[in-house]
Amino acid sequence: MSASGSKSVPSVGFLTVQEYTDLGLIGGYLILNAVGRPLEFHCTAPVRPNRAQEILYGPTLAPFLYGEQIGQTLVAKGKSRPMFVCTDVEPVLSVREFVSVPVVLITAGGDESNRQHRLDASHAVPPAPKSRKLCEFQLAHHQAAVAEDHARDRDNIVEQWRPHTEAVDLLEPFSRLREAIEEAQRGATRA
Amino acid sequence: MTQSALTNRHDSPAIETTSFDLSLPVSSFATGWGAALTRTQKIDVVTTECTAEPPKTISFRLGCPAVKTYSYAFPELPEWRTEPTGKKSQTSKKSRPQADNHAGRTRLKPPTDIVKLEDRLYYMLQPPLETILSSESMHMPFEPFPYQYQGIAFLYPRFAAILADEMGLGKTMQAITSMRLLLRAGELRKVLLICPKPLVSNWKREFTMWAPEIPLCVIEGDQTRRHWQWRHQAAPLKIANYELLMRDRDVVLDSGLHFDLVVLDEAQRIKNRSSTTSQITRAISRSRSWALTGTPVENSSEDLVGIFEFLSPGYLQSGMTARRMAKAAGDYILRRTKEKVLTDLPPKLYRDAELDLTPDQWCSYKSAEEDGVIQLEGLGAELTIQHVFELVLRLKQICNFDPATGASSKLERLEADLEEVAASGRKAIVFSQWVGVLEKLRDRLRRFGTLEYHGKIPAKKRETVISQFKEDPSKHVILMSYGAGSVGLNLQFCRYVFLFDRWWNPAVEDQAINRAHRIGAAGSVTVNRMLTLGTIEERINQILEEKRALFEAILSQTAAPRSLGLSQDEVFGLFDLKSRRSDQRRAA
Repeated sequence: MSASGSKSVPSVGFLTVQEYTDLGLIGGYLILNAVGRPLEFHCTAPVRPNRAQEILYGPTLAPFLYGEQIGQTLVAKGKSRPMFVCTDVEPVLSVREFVSVPVVLITAGGDESNRQHRLDASHAVPPAPKSRKLCEFQLAHHQAAVAEDHARDRDNIVEQWRPHTEAVDLLEPFSRLREAIEEAQRGATRA
Repeated sequence: MTQSALTNRHDSPAIETTSFDLSLPVSSFATGWGAALTRTQKIDVVTTECTAEPPKTISFRLGCPAVKTYSYAFPELPEWRTEPTGKKSQTSKKSRPQADNHAGRTRLKPPTDIVKLEDRLYYMLQPPLETILSSESMHMPFEPFPYQYQGIAFLYPRFAAILADEMGLGKTMQAITSMRLLLRAGELRKVLLICPKPLVSNWKREFTMWAPEIPLCVIEGDQTRRHWQWRHQAAPLKIANYELLMRDRDVVLDSGLHFDLVVLDEAQRIKNRSSTTSQITRAISRSRSWALTGTPVENSSEDLVGIFEFLSPGYLQSGMTARRMAKAAGDYILRRTKEKVLTDLPPKLYRDAELDLTPDQWCSYKSAEEDGVIQLEGLGAELTIQHVFELVLRLKQICNFDPATGASSKLERLEADLEEVAASGRKAIVFSQWVGVLEKLRDRLRRFGTLEYHGKIPAKKRETVISQFKEDPSKHVILMSYGAGSVGLNLQFCRYVFLFDRWWNPAVEDQAINRAHRIGAAGSVTVNRMLTLGTIEERINQILEEKRALFEAILSQTAAPRSLGLSQDEVFGLFDLKSRRSDQRRAA
């Protein structure tokens, strides 16, 4: 994990992965300061698993792509070290195995947590296994969860976020992030 | 059974046993097999050559290539050095729910003329305006309306923009908040706001309310002081009026001044590209250009071309069709009407008073018109539009008051209406285009506690007049000229507006009406438009209605205009005269 601290500004990372039927997966990583202003934005080129990966990774393909490949790469690109990284996509939680910063899943409710992320029919990424054990808790106005293997992150996140609870809605930046990914993708297509 | 046993059965219980030898005789002989069993077996090995190919293996590469990434960094915003120190408004904002409704949030969207991806992302990734403005350091005295958030989101990222909201929707607040956000974001450092002179105090007041932490400097005073203010004043915001701009053109244009943003209020002032005002404003060195006007098209589509010469020279051209112009300008103009966005604003009720002239007036009118037309026709080739205008004005004045007797059917009606207004404790504005008419009205309407606000009232006294009108319950009427009172005043406590005579331009009339019909209006506003039947006023009214249609055509992007307004031919047509030019065209 290379997102070692270079700035002292309190910041939070937002990490998501968008699925495109014709392209594959595109990851986006947005770092905001404590009042919600953007500091950094990173996104990946489309990532598509090959057939061998699909067969051999089996149900672990999604965590591999979302966490190890995309998530790890993006978090490593950040120049600021955020207090923690939020994601709205459960398989991204697996990035925690590769980075030292806490990673938390933020959900508005049942609909969001049950979201399926799939590729096109011929390259379907199986949904993340439901056997992942999560440690759920309330963070500000949202349902949150960390991987059970990193349950200690919960207290750190709650403690660090307490002074900023009213400043930033932790779910809202994902809509910005997705729009920015779309815009970057359109820009890449035009170029 | 033995004998003894048989004997025992009968004689005694003694048991007799008999033993038999069952062993069989065994004889053995040597076979010679023992050695064979212990000897090591001899195995013969037969080797057969295997001719098959080794099994094939297939390898898959699971090592993944590095994921390609694109990175953009944004500057950390500077902290604003002071917090607002003024008194907190008594109206506090309502708190907003944080997490439950993303649909109601207003996001910045980059305009189409920003093409660099990094710049577009910068705007797209900013937080919703509601979040920014709800922060502790951005105290807002009132919660903006949703359409005002949209207006701010429109102005913020634009380098060329026209905010063309209908009067009364809060263009001032939207512009101030946009400037405030940009100043705090460090995107602006020097801003010049230019407005009509009577509105300078209004802008100061609004800045104090909406952006109290932003230091501003009003350019005023003698020449030496003004020159110092232009060059050395440290305040990030300068406010100047159009008239001063002309006097200070040398220092503004030739001393190396550059502004990050120049905002023109009542930007219709520069619609005429050949005017000095237009030339000076266009020549000011600047990065961003915003125009605020409720009437970007007053007379013809050329007005819009004139304003665009300030925003983006050459972008719109004369002769473009209204449809093409509307399409080209679409991304630069934001226009909302009260009907669309303020559905809960009290209604504006029109009550056209169509009056017959008094006999005295009618006599004078007929005589003046017949004589005038004869004179105009007698001029022949010497006839100009000025001659026609003079006759129009003379006739319009007779429609107001008979020059010989002072009789006025309008005044009779006005007095009757104002009796009712005063009796109900309401207040009314009476508009006329002539100060002379207002002075006559003052004398006749004195009993209603009449105040005046027009060109003859010194600028320093005008604020006092407005305050008195607002606060003194005995003052029921204010007499205003269209020129002085049609822009920038907030008189939403008035429930009645009287247009004693009609202006040439419907947009100016709308501005006048909207002094009362605007945000904060306590109830419906009744607009009384006075019109004398069978006169020049009725004919002009028809043309005004056509102009209104033109305005809607360009700004609503629905259809091409049917007319270009009050053309020279139409002015001549008021008296069935033919202009020399149209004769020439026909001859050609």
